[in-house]
Amino acid sequence: MTDLQAIRDEWVGVEFESAEFTIDRDRVIAWAEACGETDPRFTDPGNPDFQAHPNFTACLSTGRMMPENFPRIGSGFGIDGGKTVEVHGPVRPGDTLTGRASIHDVYDKTGRSGTMVFVIHRMDFTNQNGELVSTVDSKMIRSR
Amino acid sequence: MILDLHTHSIKSDDGRAKVENYCKWVRKKELPLDGFVLTEHRQFDDTSDYRHLEDEYGLVILKASEVETDYGHVLVFGVNDDLVNSFDFARVDNPLPDVLEAAERCGAFAAPCHPGRRNVGLFAHYERKGPVEGVHTVEVLNGGSIPGEDELSVERAVAHGYRGFGGSDSHIVSRIGYCATDFDDDVRDIDGLVTALRGGRFAPVSFREEEMDRDD
Amino acid sequence: MAGEARAFEDIELGDELPVEHPDLSLPAIRRFTEGSEMRFPRFLDHEAARAEGLPGALVPGLMSQGFLLALLHRWSPGCTVRKIDTVFRGPLVIETEAEVTGAVTDIDEDERTVEVDLTIVDDSGRTVVVGTAVVEPAA
Repeated sequence: MTDLQAIRDEWVGVEFESAEFTIDRDRVIAWAEACGETDPRFTDPGNPDFQAHPNFTACLSTGRMMPENFPRIGSGFGIDGGKTVEVHGPVRPGDTLTGRASIHDVYDKTGRSGTMVFVIHRMDFTNQNGELVSTVDSKMIRSR
Repeated sequence: MILDLHTHSIKSDDGRAKVENYCKWVRKKELPLDGFVLTEHRQFDDTSDYRHLEDEYGLVILKASEVETDYGHVLVFGVNDDLVNSFDFARVDNPLPDVLEAAERCGAFAAPCHPGRRNVGLFAHYERKGPVEGVHTVEVLNGGSIPGEDELSVERAVAHGYRGFGGSDSHIVSRIGYCATDFDDDVRDIDGLVTALRGGRFAPVSFREEEMDRDD
Repeated sequence: MAGEARAFEDIELGDELPVEHPDLSLPAIRRFTEGSEMRFPRFLDHEAARAEGLPGALVPGLMSQGFLLALLHRWSPGCTVRKIDTVFRGPLVIETEAEVTGAVTDIDEDERTVEVDLTIVDDSGRTVVVGTAVVEPAA
């Protein structure tokens, strides 16, 4: 049985990867329209406050959801158990964001699907001015 | 006296409700609740003190736990130091007989919750492994149940001769009071709750339909 | 479109948000995968999803969260969502029906923000998404 406490002690809070992202206008519009957004701030490039939907940064990935050498926990493909997005400032098409990834927490519990392991992955995004604009916590679930 | 016996606050990993906001919501919506019990996941919160909220809002606010066993989740009322030292509240696979025995020995009250839940409820485990001695009361009405689950809980509880109570299993403020328990006796503290549960003079109640009416 | 801003002073604890029915059609899901670049078969193909043990092709969790954000923006035009936190409690299958709604559960007079409970319920009555958001009204 995997020792989750040992994994927490070793990995929680450790930044393991970073990447740059350029925010694409067409993707931003597609995202907002698909979500049924009608506020022109998120769908109309001509709007003076045109910006990405508040949770758009949650789709930006450094490529790895787990650090290299992170222990293999559980089985299955992993299910998205939830997302928390904290908005610190607007993200605008054309912005260049730097995303820094870390593991925020690891724990297990039982639910409708049986016993599962939860890994909380955190991304902090700063823009080209060095301003923190978004923090995204992703809850990944694997069967134990 | 009506109490919601199954709620979660931000102390639970998937809880998003602050306790004071529960109180405000109960009063603002004029819910027919006299109080509620915080049943945090896999822990007993022995540090929070809600007596000031009880006084301010005129509600009974009690603390308990929802622990996990090899037969599903179990609500434990009357948690004390002896009980906390009897088994690991953080474990996801405590043997149910051990939890029941420990509760009995330590003067607490343990009852499986959402027993009709697919795959992981008590009665799903019974189908695979047979019944467990020592179960006498289960949560037959759970505010988070999907259609069919409470009906199964009620049917199987009757078949096994178990008493039934109700709770919302709320993880967000607006779900408190979906289901609750109506006690014949007055309950003002956790000892009183354990006594009332042991006495068996209570019935599960659902306010879901009235909640829907309020939305119209 | 964006309507008139809802004034902070006009919002009360207990206020219920409208009930909305989001578009869960395959074209909508495809449009979302274009925006998100999450072009995984589990979101677009029922057979592929079932091969993974899922009940059918799923609405991406982020898209569900997007529905809730769109609801907030319509309820409080011009608002800023400071935080949104959602827990995915069950699968939401594409090409089905769902209800999205919420309720105001806290008012912060100092920050001039409100906290809102949010839910998505599928067509079987199961609550598949629960969450909260902190919203700063525009007025």
